[in-house]
Amino acid sequence: MMNDLQFLTWVRGPGLDIAIGIFLLGVLWRLFEIYSLGRKPDLSAPRHASGASGLHTVFRRSLPPPGMLKRSPVSYIGGYVFHFGLAVVVFLFAPHILLITNLTGLSWPGLPSQFVDLAAVVTMAAMVVVLADRINKPAKRFLSTFEDWFTWAVTFLPVLTGWMAVQHLLLPYTLMLAIHILSVEILLVVLPFTKLFHAFTLFGSRWYNGRVNGHKGVPV
Amino acid sequence: MSLDAIPVHVINTTPAEPGLSGNALPLLREISELLRRLLETGETGTIDLSALPLTPADLDWLQDKLGEGEIAVTLQANGESTLNETACSGVWWVVHRNTQGAVTTQFIEVAWVPELVKAHPQDVKIGQESLELLISDL
Amino acid sequence: MQGPLIDTLARQGITRRTFLKYCATLASMMALPPSAGLAMAEALAATRRPSVIWLPFQECTGCTESITRSHSPTLEAMIFDMISLDYQETLMAAAGFQAEEALHNAMKDNMGKYLLIVDGSIPLGLDGAYSCIGGRSNLEILKEAAEGAAAIIAMGSCASFGGIPKANPNPTGAVSVSDIFTDKPIVNIPGCPPIPAVITGVLAHYLTFGTLPELDDKKRPKAFYGETIHDRCYRRPFYDQGKFAKTFDDEGARRGWCLFELGCKGPVTYNACATEKWNGGTSWPVESGHGCLGCSEPDFWDGGGFYKALSMPADPLKIGAVAAVVGAAVGVGVSVVNRVKKGAAKSAHETTDLADLEK
Repeated sequence: MMNDLQFLTWVRGPGLDIAIGIFLLGVLWRLFEIYSLGRKPDLSAPRHASGASGLHTVFRRSLPPPGMLKRSPVSYIGGYVFHFGLAVVVFLFAPHILLITNLTGLSWPGLPSQFVDLAAVVTMAAMVVVLADRINKPAKRFLSTFEDWFTWAVTFLPVLTGWMAVQHLLLPYTLMLAIHILSVEILLVVLPFTKLFHAFTLFGSRWYNGRVNGHKGVPV
Repeated sequence: MSLDAIPVHVINTTPAEPGLSGNALPLLREISELLRRLLETGETGTIDLSALPLTPADLDWLQDKLGEGEIAVTLQANGESTLNETACSGVWWVVHRNTQGAVTTQFIEVAWVPELVKAHPQDVKIGQESLELLISDL
Repeated sequence: MQGPLIDTLARQGITRRTFLKYCATLASMMALPPSAGLAMAEALAATRRPSVIWLPFQECTGCTESITRSHSPTLEAMIFDMISLDYQETLMAAAGFQAEEALHNAMKDNMGKYLLIVDGSIPLGLDGAYSCIGGRSNLEILKEAAEGAAAIIAMGSCASFGGIPKANPNPTGAVSVSDIFTDKPIVNIPGCPPIPAVITGVLAHYLTFGTLPELDDKKRPKAFYGETIHDRCYRRPFYDQGKFAKTFDDEGARRGWCLFELGCKGPVTYNACATEKWNGGTSWPVESGHGCLGCSEPDFWDGGGFYKALSMPADPLKIGAVAAVVGAAVGVGVSVVNRVKKGAAKSAHETTDLADLEK
């Protein structure tokens, strides 16, 4: 039976090694696979329309189409809040930056921990609201599969456990920190093989759609 | 070698004066309750200030409110201790320091006389015996 | 047997008020109610000196050094006047057969009443041959002494958790005291070495109330091991502000910023150094500019390196590069398969004309 510190040392050592290994393997595999698929060249004469190009679509898809914000405010606002919150928590908390620096050599200044703490709470609140919306709206619920619930959970858990570790809730800090790191490792392992891979393919696929439709003269 | 020669400059940010925590006011009520008990039953009471979440500002505030009394006792016992009466008779501010002069504990004692100031009967007896001895030698 | 403790103290020039003050501080430190200080002083002053047996196993004598060289003029040592230390190899004058005799006499005379202090871990490898005293293995001696002990105090990280002897690869098969006994009252006082005031606090509590203080799930006294070093650290505000020393000699280090990035284990270490300090309240590791090693935690020696921040990998990544290459290879392989499939589909494609559809 491992004690708390041994557990922590395992997730910081072999656990991290395995998780990052699987993550890199999966990411490269899928990127190579997806981008080598190729499509038949469109032989028709290109039609030009303003705003119809890959680049336009990459940006346009970040904004809600007219009227959609009113019809589905939770999806847009909640989605924005939790994505930005996640970015702040993941990339601007000093210990996280230290890990990234150690792995990649890149470094940048962090935010005071109170700000990150606030961002974590806001992120979790937004994620819970988005989940509640998914459960409440019949159409969303109908379209949801196991993967949707599962990916929500593996994204939510690292934020929750990290915040609980910092706040000293429920479990001793050492154990909670180890669970936090383990939950991140699960996220890393799962990411390349689920819809979470959109972190890598989001802009590529937007550009692709924009380009195909742009050729037909349709701004999408 | 003096400490200044070492290029380390530690800034002690003892809770950068976060101001009043609001924990000092209830203490005044507790002291008043202890005084009432002292008057009614003669029972003494002590509040361990080191065990409470008080900021330095809280302590200053408390000291300011209680004021300074007429009696100030200094005890030299493995470091200096001060047992000072506050403006409120019967309320004593007790500070224990170690030989380096650092505060180890702080109490508020509600008593006619602080426990430490009283002489113990055994010690008095020893004193009396040695005095008798002294007189018989004269 | 000597008289009450207060007389012994008086002979050493320690006055009653010094003793009262000491007890008040001790009680406050252990988070006992203020009235406990007086109760402690009364009980201790009149105490009849219980027998204490101190057994050293796989240890470095650092724990003994810590307690015997505590405050000047050994105020903590005062507590040792309250006990009858009947066996302590390092401190006792007797040696050889006389020492062994003292041990057995103490055990026989105080059966079921004596306190047993253990420092050092117990080797189980090679039938305990790694550490023997008087031709007997540590385990054998411990089991015999534990039989009649009222309680066992595991002094230091080795006795509490196995400590350095148990560090990977643990050549001697070292274990802690609580690995051996499950039915005995045990209190762990981890630390390498433990804080003298913690040792005396536990002894004073036992002498006054006849019980061990409140313990946590690792059998440590809650009063001292209830919070982490990090939570009580005076450098904590710098952590929250994101101000870190990056090396031991940079601007941040000189200004006393947080040592997290230099590998401080304060966040995962439960001990009282930040409040009790060392050497009579002079300083403590973090105040002297070095991060906490986490010496009072189980298996601190194998915690991934003293100078690696907690958020850094404990070991260098080994399979990352290989995995990346394998991933890329699999990706290329799959895409080749896809292209072959596509090619096959293309060549198997037959054109359909109107005549076919009308068939």
